[in-house]
Amino acid sequence: MNTLVQDILAFIAVALAIWFLLHKFGILPKKKSASSKSCGEDDCGCH
Amino acid sequence: MPKQINVALIGNPNTGKTSVFNSLSGLNQKVGNYPGITVDKKEGICKLPRGVKAHIIDLPGTYSLNASSLDENVVIELLLNRNDKDFPDVAVVVSDVENLKRNLLLFTQIKDLEIPTILVINMSDRMAYKGITLDIPFLEKELQTKIALVSTRKKLGIDELKELITNYKELSLKPSLAASEIDKDYFDKLRKAFPNQLLYKLWLVITQDVNFGNVNRNEVQAIDSFKTKSNADLKRLQQKETIKRYQFINNTLKKGQTIDLKTAKDLRIKLDRVLTHKVFGYVIFFVILLTMFQAVYDWATYPTDFIDESFASLANWTKNTLPPGAFTNLLAEGIIAGIGGVMVFIPPIAILFLFIALLEESGYMSRVVFLMDNIMKRFGLSGKSVVPLISGNACAIPAVMAARNIESWKERLITILVTPFTTCSARLPVYVIIISLVIPKGSFLGLNYQALTLMALYIIGFMTAIISAYILNKVLKIKSKSYFVIEMPSYKVPLFKNVALTVLEKTKTFVFEAGKIILAISIVLWFLASYGPGEQFNDAENIIKTENIALSGDDLEDKIAAHKLEHSYIGIVGKAIEPVIKPLGYDWKIGIALVTSFAAREVFVGTLATIYSVGSSGDDEETIKSKMAAEVYSNGDKVFTLASGISLLLFYAFAMQCMSTLAIVKRETNSWKWPMYQLVGMTLIAYVAALIAFQVLK
Repeated sequence: MNTLVQDILAFIAVALAIWFLLHKFGILPKKKSASSKSCGEDDCGCH
Repeated sequence: MPKQINVALIGNPNTGKTSVFNSLSGLNQKVGNYPGITVDKKEGICKLPRGVKAHIIDLPGTYSLNASSLDENVVIELLLNRNDKDFPDVAVVVSDVENLKRNLLLFTQIKDLEIPTILVINMSDRMAYKGITLDIPFLEKELQTKIALVSTRKKLGIDELKELITNYKELSLKPSLAASEIDKDYFDKLRKAFPNQLLYKLWLVITQDVNFGNVNRNEVQAIDSFKTKSNADLKRLQQKETIKRYQFINNTLKKGQTIDLKTAKDLRIKLDRVLTHKVFGYVIFFVILLTMFQAVYDWATYPTDFIDESFASLANWTKNTLPPGAFTNLLAEGIIAGIGGVMVFIPPIAILFLFIALLEESGYMSRVVFLMDNIMKRFGLSGKSVVPLISGNACAIPAVMAARNIESWKERLITILVTPFTTCSARLPVYVIIISLVIPKGSFLGLNYQALTLMALYIIGFMTAIISAYILNKVLKIKSKSYFVIEMPSYKVPLFKNVALTVLEKTKTFVFEAGKIILAISIVLWFLASYGPGEQFNDAENIIKTENIALSGDDLEDKIAAHKLEHSYIGIVGKAIEPVIKPLGYDWKIGIALVTSFAAREVFVGTLATIYSVGSSGDDEETIKSKMAAEVYSNGDKVFTLASGISLLLFYAFAMQCMSTLAIVKRETNSWKWPMYQLVGMTLIAYVAALIAFQVLK
């Protein structure tokens, strides 16, 4: 495995990790499930 | 008959519903969440006779279909929505042989929804012990159902239950109580207006103040025109309904159940007298806690050390075997070190949850809640606040949500604000490693110093929570009233299968939920620690060689690695915050761990493992603990001393180091004001406590 391949793999791993963390802590918006209508995701006004 | 049928397991809390679920589905189960809410959704698959498969949902425990909490809403929402993909083909109502009268209320309500319903009478092995005999044919006839007498403990009746589920189409759909009996005129009008709707379903939609997001609202919207009765009138009708149901249940049980009190042996009363005694009760609870913490240390040491050493060897092997380069370094210093930082905490967390599961399964936990109510009241909290405060020892997030069943807003708000002080399992990894580094191994009167320190930290967390509650109770000017009701389940010998599944599930959650975050942060940290701007980082080798001509070999490599780390991106950030944390006894590397562990406390150890791995030449098979123990300042003084260790322990005992908890507090209070007060207040207390500890002990 040459140095370039190693660098590419390392940077892909770092990019994936950053993407995961941004999603996990709500900095990037999550995809909304179409079937979900119950309260909690939006304010349904029931509480 | 469809090849797969939906089965809903429904029942009052403490009826052994989950044991029935475990017996039916074995290991073919998964735990998820209902969409948008954090109520656990347990699902499993069970093979039934004649090639039929059952998709089983273990619904949250509920006393009736008159929902008063989010958990109960889940049950009613599913049962009212025939379009839901999980709508049951058959409902299995699990009851406890000792509390049949109370359990049958829910059964009759479900029966009135005209869903095929089977009644499981669980804990049947206790019938002889309690002097109970049941006339099953009579009960089946009166209740219009089929009954399975089950004992999950003795593995009795499960095959019969499977047979009944398979033949669910033979079950009667006749309701137990005709809804119109509640108020004939009112229900006649309803029937005329909605001839195609089930009467009892309409009644539930009218009377329940819950979210029916999953129910097709259009169908029943016009019902609003039927709210001709005032809320008080509707409540009176609900009471009338409950009385009618209990009259029916009483009449049925009068003939179908006999209890011979002479043959009943009641150990429960004797045990309750001791376990809830105003002196012995607390002493016993204290001894149990001490045993639990002692076990966390004594039992976890060997597997923890083994895992730690294995990951150190694996990292070393990876570095020496794979071709040198950035990805090999990432594997050895970031990914393997990060995963190792998660895996070493499996043994202590599993042992802690083993004890908690044993206490819950045995019925003792409810006695603790009852016992602690006396203390809670004095600090302005509800008896119900004990549940969040105790579940906070596992995780603050479900604990904050558990405060939803506190009726008084003031008590609920105070409970939400103080719950994060209780020692969640995320603090355990930090405590375990710091205590093992700075507290000596000796013992006093057979009590391990390290276990005593751990217990002291749990007590500090709990005491701070209730003292803060007392202060908040005086400061917050909100008027409210509340009451405390708790059910005391019977004492039971915990079932090994249930305990094992709980431990497995909780440990899995830690490894896969916290683990993913720790791993991702470890990878990002590795990058920030392995790259840096400017000449000091890029030309580190020449700079060190010029400055230290006499150095060679490992010493030179270590010096270069340390210089590079200091001038890496993370080193620059760490150095920037060092002046703020230096008075607490921390260096810039610990500072980085404090910042990253704001995401989740358990990230602290993984962060240090990554930083110390990158900051050394990496030829030794060093464990996380030995790396931390060997960490020294430039003058040779140890970084982790008694003073800095206690300071760190106190910082983590008080600080609000959890983004997810802040998010859930925001959701529960519907405002950023309270989580911000919480964050600032807890961080200030943590900073001051850590500062005092270090300055006094150094």
